[in-house]
Amino acid sequence: MKRLLLILFPLLLTACSHEETELPLYQRYASRQDLTVAQVKGFLLNDTLKTDVVLLVADDSATWAELKAEFDIRTSEGVTSWMGDIDEPARRVKRSVRPAWRAMAVHADRTVAFYRIDTEAQRQALLDYQMNTIDNK
Amino acid sequence: MTTFDQLWEQEERQALQQRLRQEYPRWQRARRVRHTAVASVAVLLAAGITLSSFHFPLSTRNYDSVACNRSGIADSHWAAEASRILTIETL
Repeated sequence: MKRLLLILFPLLLTACSHEETELPLYQRYASRQDLTVAQVKGFLLNDTLKTDVVLLVADDSATWAELKAEFDIRTSEGVTSWMGDIDEPARRVKRSVRPAWRAMAVHADRTVAFYRIDTEAQRQALLDYQMNTIDNK
Repeated sequence: MTTFDQLWEQEERQALQQRLRQEYPRWQRARRVRHTAVASVAVLLAAGITLSSFHFPLSTRNYDSVACNRSGIADSHWAAEASRILTIETL
């Protein structure tokens, strides 16, 4: 019986220690009333690789205009994407910089999505994910 | 010479031994069943905790956790959005 408790106790501790940790980028915008802000931790890119995603959705066109100005998005249709600095996602960085955000602004949805890239494998997995999605259509 | 008390004690001991011989296997069986039940519950609990904590491959969930500043939106919606936006970008 004691041995079983010794096995169960660490398992219970592990299960309880899965507390939510908010990403700094999420925290920065979470208090905004005019934005719907979400973070997806551990978004599965393939069988083994995961990444964290932060989504900012402007509730109205005025907020979207503000968001576009804040992230220096100059286009008005389709999708605008860039590699952003991990602390200042509005600042564009080279593709090789790690860690970084791969940002995608979707005008039709008034949404900016940030995918965290820490490794070359993650960047590749993100591209593969996109390609596989197309193949599956 | 054997006294009445000694005889009585001997009888009692014999009766006790006989009862023990009869009852012992039953007690053993009950103890085994109890131990098996406790062990089974413990194993099931451990398996449940492990599955929910480490996302067994049988799980179709493609994310670990979701946080949102608005209530009432399903976690799966945001994972689906993260996936959908990647598709839009490519198309």
